[in-house]
Amino acid sequence: MADKKMLILDGAMGTMLQAAGLPAGQLPELWNLTHPETVAAIHRRYVEAGSRVLYTNTFGANRLKAAGCGHSPAELVTGAVRCAREAAAGRDVKVALDIGPIGRLLEPLGDLSFDEAYELFKELIVAGENAGADLVVIETMSDLYEVKAAVLAAKENSRLPVWVTMTFEATGRSFLGVTVSSMALTLTGLGADALGFNCSLGPKELMPLVRELREWTDLPIILKPNAGLPDPASGEYGITPAEFAAAMEEAPGLGVSMIGGCCGTTPDFIRALREGFEGLAPAVPFPPKRSGVCSSVNTAESDGVRVIGERINPTGKKRFQQALREHDLDYIVRQAIEQQDAGADILDVNVGLPGMDEAALMRDVVRAVQEAVDLPLQIDSADPAAIEAGLRVYNGKAIVNSVNGKKEVLDSILPLCKKYGAAVVGLCMDENGIPPDWQGRVNIARRIMDAALACGIPKSDILIDCLTLTVSAQQDQAVQTLQALRYIRETLGLKTVLGVSNISFGLPSRETITACFLSQALYAGLDFPIINPNQRTVMDTVAAYRVLSGQDRDSEAYIRRFADAPAAPTAEKRGAASLSDTVMRGLGRETAALTEAALSDMDELEVVNRLLIPALDRVGERYEKQEIFLPQLIKAAGASCEGFEIIKKRIAQRGGKSVSKGKIILATVQGDIHDIGKNIVRVVLENYGYTVLDLGRDVPPEKIVEAVVRENVKLVGLSALMTTTVPSMAKTIEALRRSGHLCKIMVGGAVLTPEYAAEIGADYYAKDAKQSADIAKEVLG
Amino acid sequence: MEARLSGIDRNEALRYMGYRGSIAPDALCADLERCERLLLQTARPRALWRLFDLLPDGTLAGTDYRPGGQDIRDYLRGCDQVVLMAATLGAEAEALIRRAQKRDMADAVILDAVGSAAIENVCDNLCADLAETLSPRCLTERFSPGYGDLPLSEQETIFRILELERRIGVSLTAGGLMIPQKSVTAFIGVADEPQEQRPRGCESCAHFQDCAFRKERKSCGR
Repeated sequence: MADKKMLILDGAMGTMLQAAGLPAGQLPELWNLTHPETVAAIHRRYVEAGSRVLYTNTFGANRLKAAGCGHSPAELVTGAVRCAREAAAGRDVKVALDIGPIGRLLEPLGDLSFDEAYELFKELIVAGENAGADLVVIETMSDLYEVKAAVLAAKENSRLPVWVTMTFEATGRSFLGVTVSSMALTLTGLGADALGFNCSLGPKELMPLVRELREWTDLPIILKPNAGLPDPASGEYGITPAEFAAAMEEAPGLGVSMIGGCCGTTPDFIRALREGFEGLAPAVPFPPKRSGVCSSVNTAESDGVRVIGERINPTGKKRFQQALREHDLDYIVRQAIEQQDAGADILDVNVGLPGMDEAALMRDVVRAVQEAVDLPLQIDSADPAAIEAGLRVYNGKAIVNSVNGKKEVLDSILPLCKKYGAAVVGLCMDENGIPPDWQGRVNIARRIMDAALACGIPKSDILIDCLTLTVSAQQDQAVQTLQALRYIRETLGLKTVLGVSNISFGLPSRETITACFLSQALYAGLDFPIINPNQRTVMDTVAAYRVLSGQDRDSEAYIRRFADAPAAPTAEKRGAASLSDTVMRGLGRETAALTEAALSDMDELEVVNRLLIPALDRVGERYEKQEIFLPQLIKAAGASCEGFEIIKKRIAQRGGKSVSKGKIILATVQGDIHDIGKNIVRVVLENYGYTVLDLGRDVPPEKIVEAVVRENVKLVGLSALMTTTVPSMAKTIEALRRSGHLCKIMVGGAVLTPEYAAEIGADYYAKDAKQSADIAKEVLG
Repeated sequence: MEARLSGIDRNEALRYMGYRGSIAPDALCADLERCERLLLQTARPRALWRLFDLLPDGTLAGTDYRPGGQDIRDYLRGCDQVVLMAATLGAEAEALIRRAQKRDMADAVILDAVGSAAIENVCDNLCADLAETLSPRCLTERFSPGYGDLPLSEQETIFRILELERRIGVSLTAGGLMIPQKSVTAFIGVADEPQEQRPRGCESCAHFQDCAFRKERKSCGR
């Protein structure tokens, strides 16, 4: 449909319906059934003005927005397509099933799950295709994750082309912080058929964004701006049809090939567009200048060295393996945060551990990590199911690590990369192992490239790993790796990845070898070193290389890096303090050091019971006396946590089970999303040595009952912040009692009182986090 | 009229954190300062308002919405127009506070309090700008769903009328709570004569729903 000529779309539906008498605040989609002639008449006016694509009146037809209107989404969609079809009859006019935002925000910020969003979109798309829509247009979106759900729903349940337009502010970001590059990379990868912008701004303000979009995608671009900005007092929009069309003048030259209007535009605006642009041939899309991978708000462009952090990986790490086995996502998230702070640009995520459900773990870890950091992720697995599980829930454009030259591997994993629009790492090895000479590795790289290209993966998304072998074992191999790297980079023109740390295995002063090899590899053209960003020397090498290669303009980042370098902690500061002092003052590193020292003459449990817990108790007392306040209490708890971490590590190394004073379930009740109070309680309880199973926020009663029974816990803590959600807490308590389980229930939250807690049947009322720890002590010891 | 976040009232933030008149320790002040800076850098405040004529039965002209409960009617007595407003710190601030809960809970507590003070500042600035724009007409204080007997459930309707999701990026959860959490919707009465300042007690405070002072049967002293 996107032929060589400019395609004129339609203008606003809502504006027209309101002019026809729809009261503000009423569901516009209802008029598809109650006033079909009015809806069809509006479409007809657009056709007469020059529209060749009609957007159906289904922007808010999803099951949640249309709840209570008396009609199903399918009925509203079918009515809407009928209205548009009627207006299009006998003309060369297409009908686009219009899909707007659901109206509820997706997790993690919101309370709607990705899968629920997918189902809501699926329902509309299936109904739309059945009713005879020619394409799907997903518009006015601010959340890339929501768009992903919609695009997948369209691709997996219909054969219709999918267009996407998102809504940006003049800052170049959507309301949720999505960038133009993230939108372009992610949606081009997911297979959208056209991309662009609608709503929010006028044509003039959108033009810079179009220019940027053009750099990141070769898809046809859609532009459907508002008629300027609305006047707040009246809600009316500012500019005239002639001004609107004039402001679009630059569009065809930028490769915009579909234009129309959004809020405030009328058939007159479309007529002005037709007069100005019909028959014009927009510039032919050229291959995008820029490439990279991204999270929804952060792009790692492949125009320089980008560090992939390797620490989220259980190989050879007992503590990490224990975290995976215990589903301790917080531990893993901390590794992510640490690497981000150390300067990683991308994080590798590997959760493969024998005996564990890798796909489920990958899904959960990807979700947890992308909630905590905004770096792009590299999904690292050999298991296609785990790769797909990670790619599906990932909000952005990921890298898949990895395929190799084996045919069955290429056949099973490349299609997943294509479907989810991921870049892919190809290892230079196959069924015969790793070729000892660089030419052999280049041959495999070429094979991988051909297979990926044949699968529809663009060249810029194929990354080759020439493989690092341990230099202490195979000394001649370092040179071969570098040779292969240089050739692949220069002659095949592919980007390269390399796990660097392996080079120094078995040698003293490993960081020296690693840093030196890294620097040679970077010079040979390595784009994405996979390293441990927590190693300062290695990251210094990257920083230096960025200066020498010109990537770090005016050495700005380099200078900042060394200006910010923290002074090494002085000896006396470490020496004198007691563990009780360091905990009180919230000094984590010092607490860890003192814990370590104490372990030389006490066992783990003794350190916990004789040092850490009493230190915390002293903090608690001072808090009760109001000598210190909540942030200090939490800091102290955090410091003691560093001590507990040392203990956990020690026990994990010994292969023992973790010390825990007992398990407690916490949840913020259904309907409530204010969970900071619950999270505070959790941190404090954990730091007192309890294991907390945190069910999250907005948790339905049955889920809490199920968890309490399954885990057979003695204590459950419920939190509710709002007066409106306290009844939900009462309901949860009732359900717990009905289950017959004998757990004790403690409740807390801003508006609760001891009287009310007793009234709804709670066993304990915790006025703050400290008291919840006292209650835990009473119940669990 | 741009949404403006012009500063953060530190005492207000301290009150949200539970300080009861005692002097904040130096260490905390350093953290506060850092968190304030972080929040000011991160927040992208947005606000939106629309002016409606008020029909005699209390309906907002041009809509079929008549706010429920007695309190809002009392509040708007003597007004012939009403501004429906909304303001938010934006999703980035929300993400900042949520992420801090993973990174450093002490910071999260401070950021949360600072965020509450910040959204109040955005609302106050909007009201000041409104007073100027609508001058010589006179404005009442803000009155939000959840105050007094104005049901929180009316957020749904307000969101539809103001199209808050698409205009300023605020949405509602299934339970009718706003995300980003640092967001406010409110009514402001408009009249020819200055309106007597309705008691700005607890009932007309944005924290009526979740105030820790009120629970102790105390007041924050505002």
